[in-house]
Amino acid sequence: MSSILDRIRDSVASLDVDSTLSYVRDALNGGFDVKSIIDALAMGMEIVGKRYEEGEYFVSDLIVAGEIFSEAMAILRPKIVESRRGTKPLGKVVIGTVYGDIHDIGKNLVATFLEAAGFEVIDLGVDVPPQKFVEAIKMHSPDIVGMSALLTSTMMHMKVVIEAIKREGLRDTVKVIIGGAPVTEKFAREIGADAYGENAYRAVEICRKLLEKRG
Amino acid sequence: MNPRNRVLTTLKHEEPDRIPIDIGATPNTAFHVLVYRDVRRALNLPEKPIRIFDFGQQLAEIEKELLEYFNVDVISINRTLEPCAPYPHSWGYRTRDGTIIRVLDSEWKMWSRRDGVIVEIPRYIDVVEAEDGYVAYIGGKIVGKMPRDGYYFWGLDRYGEYTPLAEARNVDDVKKIDWESYRVSNDYVETLRKRAEYLYRNTEYALIFTGAGSLHEWGQGLRGWSRWLSDLRVRRPLAEAVLDHMMDVLKYNVDNYVSVLKDYVHVIGFSDDFGTEEGPQISVQTFRDFYKHRYEELFSIVKRRSKMYIYLHSCGSIQPLIREFIDVGVDILNPVQISAKGMDPVELKKRFGEQVVFWGGGADTQHVLPFAEPEEVVEHVKKLIEILAPGGGYVYASVHNIQPPTPPQNIIAMYKTAYKYGQYPIKT
Repeated sequence: MSSILDRIRDSVASLDVDSTLSYVRDALNGGFDVKSIIDALAMGMEIVGKRYEEGEYFVSDLIVAGEIFSEAMAILRPKIVESRRGTKPLGKVVIGTVYGDIHDIGKNLVATFLEAAGFEVIDLGVDVPPQKFVEAIKMHSPDIVGMSALLTSTMMHMKVVIEAIKREGLRDTVKVIIGGAPVTEKFAREIGADAYGENAYRAVEICRKLLEKRG
Repeated sequence: MNPRNRVLTTLKHEEPDRIPIDIGATPNTAFHVLVYRDVRRALNLPEKPIRIFDFGQQLAEIEKELLEYFNVDVISINRTLEPCAPYPHSWGYRTRDGTIIRVLDSEWKMWSRRDGVIVEIPRYIDVVEAEDGYVAYIGGKIVGKMPRDGYYFWGLDRYGEYTPLAEARNVDDVKKIDWESYRVSNDYVETLRKRAEYLYRNTEYALIFTGAGSLHEWGQGLRGWSRWLSDLRVRRPLAEAVLDHMMDVLKYNVDNYVSVLKDYVHVIGFSDDFGTEEGPQISVQTFRDFYKHRYEELFSIVKRRSKMYIYLHSCGSIQPLIREFIDVGVDILNPVQISAKGMDPVELKKRFGEQVVFWGGGADTQHVLPFAEPEEVVEHVKKLIEILAPGGGYVYASVHNIQPPTPPQNIIAMYKTAYKYGQYPIKT
């Protein structure tokens, strides 16, 4: 008989909304601490990401997983404040779709999977001008800045944002990761980003690695 | 061989005299207005206002002299520049609060962009400059926004502001929107008939009508893009109810389109984006569960009553779905996004080239066309032609619309190569 935490993990992995939510409630009532429940959800999300990466799951499944995660977190939220006291997030990420572009599906998936993995995510939304990225860096001191663009016409704006971050003398304080349909590894290097994440699962892996490098 | 026969020959999977070329016959094989301006400049044509045919995507209507310059073979029956049919259509635009505004699609006005480009837009659309870009209104109601450094007017659904069924919880909620209002009007259908007949009799172009319908995209528009995807996975009864309502509308519309177009139009276009860069949005099984039988029903209306070819536009990596599309009667696939995962043109031509016509895939607009040198574009196009053209079953077009900034020299090199190296038999 698997433990309730295993069942949470497995029901997320198999995209079973109702079971996940009922196991989460059971675990809370059974006295499990919130952190262990979130960890179980996170493990489930990681399995979902892997299955996507392996071609077993599709974007529709990532979206369902994201919904399950946020519904579960809504149940846990009242308890989180007390439990997270003293625990630090894995790292802090400021994320947004660059100015001129309003596509946000990929960016939202990355944000959800980063949160599930334990990152604190500050989502600036879409059509974000360079100044807003700069201000967010000053205000939140993130470890990582993530930018998204879906269009060849707007991907060049990522370079403008990076230059604005440089001008403010903030480039060395953050790692920059970019993504979006037309974006490539080569393009990321050309515009001076630190990394390219081709999907939500990879983005999480890369953000983890970027943090390790920082030590 | 005239343009019409050239297209019809390739649609029969036979080799015509050369590869037929499409620029601007569909809202997925066209030029952005700024690209069109640049191409005109590069050809030393005088500056002039540029007429658009798709307001949201800001796509330029290709003028007669450029259709001829680029050896284009196919046009839309809804063109508004020569050659076009002299039958305007007066239609009722329904705003979000239900007000109907009568508009005539033959009346135009000039809109001066901040960068000085003058665009000819429908007279009933008002564009107002706002702090964060442009806002478009019809009859005082917002219909779209263009970000300050953006290139397109995005509908309100893209801002999460207008998704009519976003809050639907159950099958009864789905009935609450005015499904009847999506049915095509008799007026419009009659105008289509007259336009199609006119262009059939007075031009030698192959004729296409796009916008016959969509299922998946429509669901995403009504419910929200992501929500619809999760509906298909975890709210099946709701999704089925929405799709049943859509089908009532679509069957009515397609039946009407077929009645008036069947004697004149060669290609009827449907549009449903199923791909992402990395794979289909949904599994093949989900496609079979929700869409396959419905498409079969819709397409059989076309097949039973006409000889029109069925064109399906579906972006991205959709290779696992192509077999399904062929099963339900798709004759032509667009845009053939060759850079997406699993969309290697060699593999596509080998596996599906005898059953489906590729209409597109002629230049990678995401990674090559905007960035390469003209000589590289020539090599890129030659290679794709060698792969996709043999045996016919190929209409030359870029992968989706050409977006700014793309060097006009690359665009000119692309179509010149398609013409020059597109003569059959293809030399390899």
